[in-house]
Amino acid sequence: MTAARLGKLAVPFVILLLLLLFPATGPSSDLVKILFTTFVWIITSIAWNIVGGFTGQVSFGFAVFYGLGAYAAALLINSGRSPYFAFLGAAGVAVLASFLVGLPTFRLRGPYFAIATIGVTEAVRVVMSNVPFTGGASGYRITEYGPFRQLEHYYQALVAVALAVAISAWISGSRFGLALRAIKQDQDAAAQLGVNPYTFKLWAHAIAAALTGVAGALHARYNIYIDPTGGAGGVFAFTTGISILLMPVIGGIGTVWGPVLGGAVFGIVEEEIVVKFPQIHLLLYGALLILIVLLEPDGLVGLFHRIVRLFRRRRDDSGGPRADKVLWGRSRLEGREL
Amino acid sequence: MENRFMRNRRWKAGLLFLAGVAGLFASPTQSAAQGGDTITIGVVLPISGREGKPGQYQKEGVELAIKQINDKGGLTIKGKKYHLKEAFYDDGSDSAKSASLAERVMSTDNATAVIGGYSTALGEAESVMPDRYKTPWLTPGAAATSIFSHGYQYVFGTLSPVLLLGSTTAEFLGYLVDQGKLKKGLKIAMAVENTDHGIDYVNGVQDWISKHPGYFTVVFNEKFELGGTDFSGLLQKVKAARADIFLSDAHLQDYITMQRQYLQSGMHHQVISYGARGPEEAARKALGDGINYIFAGIWWSDKLPYPQAQKFINDYKQFTGRAPDSWYAATAYDSMRILAQAIQQAGSTDKTKIRDALRKAELKDSILPGTVLKYGPNGQAGYPFVIVQNQPGGKVEIVYPKNAATGAPIAPTP
Amino acid sequence: MSLIDYLDPLVAAVLLAGIYAAMSIGMTVIYGVMKIVNLAHAGFMMMGAYFAFELFERFHVHPVIGALLALPTFFLFGMAVYWLLVRWLPRSDQPTLSSLLLMFGFWLVLQNVALLIWGNEDQSILTPMTFSVIRFGPVSIATVRLVVFVLAVVSVVVLQIVLRRSWFGRAVRALIQNPYAAQITGVDDRRTAMLSFGVGIAFAGFAGSLLAMLYSFSPDFGRQFLLRSFVIIVLGGLESFSGVAIGALILALVETFSILFVQASYQPAISYGLLVVVLLVLPKGVAGLLEKKWRVA
Repeated sequence: MTAARLGKLAVPFVILLLLLLFPATGPSSDLVKILFTTFVWIITSIAWNIVGGFTGQVSFGFAVFYGLGAYAAALLINSGRSPYFAFLGAAGVAVLASFLVGLPTFRLRGPYFAIATIGVTEAVRVVMSNVPFTGGASGYRITEYGPFRQLEHYYQALVAVALAVAISAWISGSRFGLALRAIKQDQDAAAQLGVNPYTFKLWAHAIAAALTGVAGALHARYNIYIDPTGGAGGVFAFTTGISILLMPVIGGIGTVWGPVLGGAVFGIVEEEIVVKFPQIHLLLYGALLILIVLLEPDGLVGLFHRIVRLFRRRRDDSGGPRADKVLWGRSRLEGREL
Repeated sequence: MENRFMRNRRWKAGLLFLAGVAGLFASPTQSAAQGGDTITIGVVLPISGREGKPGQYQKEGVELAIKQINDKGGLTIKGKKYHLKEAFYDDGSDSAKSASLAERVMSTDNATAVIGGYSTALGEAESVMPDRYKTPWLTPGAAATSIFSHGYQYVFGTLSPVLLLGSTTAEFLGYLVDQGKLKKGLKIAMAVENTDHGIDYVNGVQDWISKHPGYFTVVFNEKFELGGTDFSGLLQKVKAARADIFLSDAHLQDYITMQRQYLQSGMHHQVISYGARGPEEAARKALGDGINYIFAGIWWSDKLPYPQAQKFINDYKQFTGRAPDSWYAATAYDSMRILAQAIQQAGSTDKTKIRDALRKAELKDSILPGTVLKYGPNGQAGYPFVIVQNQPGGKVEIVYPKNAATGAPIAPTP
Repeated sequence: MSLIDYLDPLVAAVLLAGIYAAMSIGMTVIYGVMKIVNLAHAGFMMMGAYFAFELFERFHVHPVIGALLALPTFFLFGMAVYWLLVRWLPRSDQPTLSSLLLMFGFWLVLQNVALLIWGNEDQSILTPMTFSVIRFGPVSIATVRLVVFVLAVVSVVVLQIVLRRSWFGRAVRALIQNPYAAQITGVDDRRTAMLSFGVGIAFAGFAGSLLAMLYSFSPDFGRQFLLRSFVIIVLGGLESFSGVAIGALILALVETFSILFVQASYQPAISYGLLVVVLLVLPKGVAGLLEKKWRVA
């Protein structure tokens, strides 16, 4: 284990330690809320990246798992279960849903799959808006007795996000992850080499759905009131699904830290800038997307690598980064087919 | 794939980057200074998005009241003068944002009280926060009774329940029958929005009908999704129901869309109502004479004869440059006034004491129908509705109750 | 409900299908030639609506004229957007994530621009024609719907003629069938792409102006229509033009008649459900089905 390797491994743990100890500095409850919300977004971002980034299947429909996780947790908590049971239940329901969605839709390729996911999400949203059992369009409310312990929510989210990063990192380095990347690169070639694309996609989808469901559960428990459409901010809303997709793209699709960065940026922007400049946040996201697609398809991580490479080139011109390009073809985003 | 040198650099740079991000978090967010001589009133309303227009009016109502109080020197508590300061956030008609902003204004901005939540969905989302932060919250725009039936201790609703709106509407229809303008035994078709608001409305109407047999029967009752663009299918069904009266409960945008398509379908009913919508400026602009003869049950009308109501209208005109549009600003205005009165009566900036004062408060010169604003045991106010009708020539007259009427109802629709 | 009661919805569905077809055909052209799923289509429709609105409010131009003016205006606008943004996209004969995200980002930008200029409230166009109703026996039709239908159908037919007869049309069809072979035979794919994009956007703007006569609109306008366009072009077959007409008719019929049997608030779920079912069962859409019987361009 070289010093550099140790350093590489240490950084995430240092960050984790900082975040664990952070509440001891007596932060304002607003700050804790921002961090909590950001953690929840990061979880969804990481989850989406597993399917959209590693496996290359672009889904616009992750709001389904978010919403189902939220409702499942809400129902479980209201029937007296502990929050941890509720989180597990949320993950379970989401996994079930991922199979229901994935079994038919993963037979589709490219844009067909993406469009199908939009259809599924909207259909679920409309149904949930009407089912009286969960309150329909009036939304659903959790009744939890006991005082509001904000830090409890904070730590739960922190643990969940750490878990998500760990899972993502493990996938990235494992043979499972290699299979996923193969599917992304060329599904038919992967099939020839013995990787069954269909099953691998389903499993990746299940893992991602579980994580997203937990995120939805965390959100539900904190905000107590959830509704399907919410005038644009509901748990099944189209914009929610889009936000989930936006984060990994901004941060760096297909990487481990990209979704984390993207989620962090998104969380800050949503909470702070949107409040202060509500009039232009769509413009910001739109312009950001366009710039990313045209200039730096690998998002923030790609930008970061570019800067590093700039330094590298000064010292000596080796084939390091270019070998990277040869291995993966053009950059992770461009030229890669849907 | 990269060598050790690059890895070092990368992680150092990464750490620096994340430190920067953390630094952004750690920088203290400006919080409004509490104490000194200001009291912060949080206001979380939509001024953009679907509910932007009514939200805007409610914001103006609150601001007018705040301005008037400050112009008089502010509130006096324990001999000290306190200025009112507004902390406003636009939730963009998004319920998740609404809750988040309500939380922010209660925690970071340390608001003593919050007024907000226009429309049921936004109100429901916000209503979770008051008890969490023990901050009194008043909603001048959300009337669904479900908000007030969870046992929350810090929520107050300045709008009379929609249930009452429904039964008042039915009562008014019964009155028309008694007056000989309508026959007995007419059929009613109802199309309401798929929210607590709509459900309460239907229940209110059916409540009255069951208590007064023989007057009407409901032959059609369906819910539609908010924010739709095309109601023609729904209207086809209404047409097929061959009813005599058409009652709907919708928000402003849906009201305009549906009425437009109603007219385009060539239908005719003896009485049409859209719940609490009718005389809005935006509807007049979009549909012109198409909104004539529509009845609305609203929480306040500019035709109310009270002197304080007339004064409000003049003050509002001066403040915003236009006349109040329907009832929106009025309920917000009185919410602020009763809040100020409660703070004064509590004699303290302690939020729980203010909450207690609100429970007992009575605004005796309220501009709302009945002239007295008082909150019920569940936090929701209850005062009579007025039924208005859009009459030809751009006029809007109060047609019910009789003792407040400024014009005679025109029914059936010609 | 008696049989007569079904006549009204039937007529309404057919009229609706017309505008649906005009609205979706723009997307089909762009997808067929460039394999770009144009998510910004909704944004362009919205701009089309505001275009007609502004012409009406400021210059008292009747929205019908406004819609016709939208065609050339948005054609140029589309070409400009292509020149500035779209041509930098990596070329591919399969849809790419980049194109999807680029168009989506542009849609957000369009929404925000509209928001800044016109604010967020619903606007609408009120003309004497808005409420007039024509009665054919037991059926009553809103005049605007008829007018919009006629304009939509005429525009689609004209496009079809152009595609079959003109040089441009042949180039477009060649590119759709086989981009590489087309290039070998001398089709300038860059130029054709730019023109096709222009045509696609022209139709988006045109459809938007027509829709402005029927509905209220705000910067968020178009999203529901975008999703409907997806359903239609998938139904019809992503690259077929006559398929669009069929798809539009099917969707309009399903939408209109499903409401009669199901509570109104459930209706969108049926449309989306239809989308998913069609994707699974008939991935090439109805056109794919017909292709087996006779060749359809």
